[in-house]
Amino acid sequence: MAQNNDGYYEAYWPRAPRQQLMRELAPRLDSLEGKTVAQLWDQLFKGDVVFELLEEGLKARYPGIKFVSWRDFGSTHGGEEREVLAALPQRLKSLGVDAVISGMAC
Amino acid sequence: MCEAAGFPTSSLTCEGFVRQAAVTSVGIGMPNIPIATVPGHIGTKTAQELRDGIFEVTMDEVVTNLTVMPEAKAVASEPRARDIVVRGGLKAVNRYFVEHEYSDGLPIVPPTREDIEAFLRYTPRSPDESLGTLLPDKRAATIWSIAVNGVMAGCRPEYMPILVAMIEAMCDPVYGVEHSGNTPGADTLIILNGPIIKTLGFNYTQGVLRDGFLPNTSIGRFWRLYLRNVAGFLLHKTDKATYGNTWRVVLAENEDVLQKIGWEPNRVEMGYAAGDNTVTIARYTGGGSLSSVSGSTPEEMLPYLADSLQRFNNWQVTFTTSHGNGTLRPLAVISPIIAETLAKAGWSKADVKRYLFEHARRPAYEFERQLRDWNIRGVWDLEDDVTHARIPKVFFESDDPNRMVPIVWKAEDYMIAVSGDPLRNNAYVFAHNGFLGYPVGRKIDLPKDWDALLAQAV
Repeated sequence: MAQNNDGYYEAYWPRAPRQQLMRELAPRLDSLEGKTVAQLWDQLFKGDVVFELLEEGLKARYPGIKFVSWRDFGSTHGGEEREVLAALPQRLKSLGVDAVISGMAC
Repeated sequence: MCEAAGFPTSSLTCEGFVRQAAVTSVGIGMPNIPIATVPGHIGTKTAQELRDGIFEVTMDEVVTNLTVMPEAKAVASEPRARDIVVRGGLKAVNRYFVEHEYSDGLPIVPPTREDIEAFLRYTPRSPDESLGTLLPDKRAATIWSIAVNGVMAGCRPEYMPILVAMIEAMCDPVYGVEHSGNTPGADTLIILNGPIIKTLGFNYTQGVLRDGFLPNTSIGRFWRLYLRNVAGFLLHKTDKATYGNTWRVVLAENEDVLQKIGWEPNRVEMGYAAGDNTVTIARYTGGGSLSSVSGSTPEEMLPYLADSLQRFNNWQVTFTTSHGNGTLRPLAVISPIIAETLAKAGWSKADVKRYLFEHARRPAYEFERQLRDWNIRGVWDLEDDVTHARIPKVFFESDDPNRMVPIVWKAEDYMIAVSGDPLRNNAYVFAHNGFLGYPVGRKIDLPKDWDALLAQAV
């Protein structure tokens, strides 16, 4: 009779508990008309071109929309990333920003 | 961050990153954070194709993301930290671990209580102690989880002090573990120094970067398993390596040769004492071997090494510009006989690094062409970076496009390790991944009863 050499094991979970609690998203806007939208860019993957196109299209749809250029924030990815991100909430507030478009992940 | 601060946000993501965004959003506690898609990949589109994609797809999604609250998404419940997740034979356990994405595809050693506790005896720390929180999953890097993954990788219990030091380094924000799934698919190299190399039988001579020695290989595998299971990097989800590699085995320096020639080991470069056991981690996107580095003097040998360093660190010079804030740290592993030849001429490690800084250079037009034209960084050049004092002046000393510029900011940015076949005149050059895996060192703390524990080890 063949012997079972597969053994018996009680194996523990190899992961660890997540530390992040679930959070609510920010309230959405009723419309983009008359609102100020910030552009955040990691300065990769033609984001400068993408933001130009989005600005053109959104202005055509919402004539009163305003933009704060990615040039006013610095790169959101790179050697100074942590400093730029840490300053963001206050910076967005001081610029009167209502919403944000952030790119590019490619 | 913007959402948490109260600003509705639409993130822009090329098609290939949508799945990664969905998984990462759970780690940041916002599983319903909205994404606007850019069809295909932006790097291969004509101007018209890009315009069409933005106007026909991305624009509407941006408007929706900013004006309509996304539906809440439930997150699946998980086991608790010390739950047994499967009971059964070796095959059943391995099948379960593969099916639940806990394994790298090779058979694992089942992490049982007996084996986990054997690892825990090699550290005075509490099993529940967390060394930090790791992105993208944002899980606690607990001592318990280190032991579990160490068992799985096939490590021996006495490797535990090394594993703890490695994860301490992984948790250091300077290292940047959150970038471990980036598209170039860089892999971590672990450099080991100290008496522990011989105590635990690491390979530090011929074939040092190849699997084949238990400590070198199993500890390298542990690193990747920990990235998978605790940091949360999974292929086709959060690990977006376009190609990637199998894990790198541990590189142990040849300290006998270093002592003989009077060169400081890597641990001293990283700020630790001469007698310390240390690990240094850094991520490298690739590299290659240099065959037959010939000559009997530094002047004859080093041009080959300098030329190879600048060739292998090709697009990686992006980390030398303002984008990377000068974080490029190329590594040269040279064989003992090369190091001995250089030292015999009176050259120190610092002398070699200075030579490399002055000679591992390329024409400025090639440097800029690589990043601006080939890697589509359209808003950047060396002149602009120097003019705004974002990088050293050496990168724009004239407007001659043929001027030779370095690939790092200063000589000390080069790293040199001595290992490999002692009697072969070869070297290996690593291309560094900049701030997406910056070198970080940690001292390995041995338990007080280390010698007694080793004597009892079976």
